Amino acid sequence: MSGSVSSEIKAEPNLTPLLDVVFQLITFFMLVINFSNDNNDQRVRLPVAASASPTESGPADPDRLVLNIDSDGKLLMNGEAFDTESAMKEIHLQAQLLRSSADRAAKRKGLPKPDENSLPTTVVIRCDKNTHYSQLYRLITKCQSEGFRKFSLKAMNAEG
Amino acid sequence: MKKSKHQEVDIPVTPMLDMAFQLLTFFILTYHPAPSEGQFGMNLLPASPAIKMDAAKAPDTKTPNDSVPASLRTITTQLFASPDGKLGKVMIEENELQGMDQLRAKLKEFLDPAQGDLFEQAVIQADPNLKYEELMKVIDVFSGLKINKISFAELEAGVSL
Repeated sequence: MSGSVSSEIKAEPNLTPLLDVVFQLITFFMLVINFSNDNNDQRVRLPVAASASPTESGPADPDRLVLNIDSDGKLLMNGEAFDTESAMKEIHLQAQLLRSSADRAAKRKGLPKPDENSLPTTVVIRCDKNTHYSQLYRLITKCQSEGFRKFSLKAMNAEG
Repeated sequence: MKKSKHQEVDIPVTPMLDMAFQLLTFFILTYHPAPSEGQFGMNLLPASPAIKMDAAKAPDTKTPNDSVPASLRTITTQLFASPDGKLGKVMIEENELQGMDQLRAKLKEFLDPAQGDLFEQAVIQADPNLKYEELMKVIDVFSGLKINKISFAELEAGVSL
């Protein structure tokens, strides 16, 4: 600082460190923000189970089918609610799509055609805590008959 | 162009700071930490192959769901529900139990290494009226005791308390 004061005093705070901090905060929030929960329907209130293993923090497995089931047993998928009959059709349709894409993927990689009776896709079931078992069971058996073998039942780790 | 000796270039950072604050506000407002969700992974095979395996021994097979093939290595648990969907009595291999604590104690008894660790998978037969919340409590107990091979079946309706 030269120490010389002009007749007009100018206060110029140094904003650069402040800007640095703000950018750091923005970076933090950008990284932490979670867009991957698009499939998680907020209408579904999951039950609580302490010993449920935490989901992998990495990128979500693309090979999965998320089934949200509300308290009336309706299947919520892509913003639509399906009653039992249309839910069965929808699961059948999804299974066909997944099967054909698995076939194509195997062909592309030169692998033998995957087993007709089993699909590698994991069915993630997010079921409301007030759903009756019969409604859930119906969907699970339908998935099994369509060839799904891997299931994942979702629950909250803690009350919240 | 002639340059003076000490030319100071002032980059105005204030607009940038304004914008940065706007962005920050957006991220703070849209930020809501997702509740931590856990999962129970399981391989659920349809009931029919199990019956087929059993059919090798007994050719007169029954329909898949009305009776799970008896096996030494399977714990069959039956969950009965009260009319409001709450868990009523629990039956494990002919033992009638009430509540989670008794269930946990009984399962520990079954899994006691002194008994030879005969059981490695569980079949849960639940009342159609049972609420998922109650089923999850039971799965939680099983999972806590490291029984991860669970399959499901449905009890006949009307068979309750």
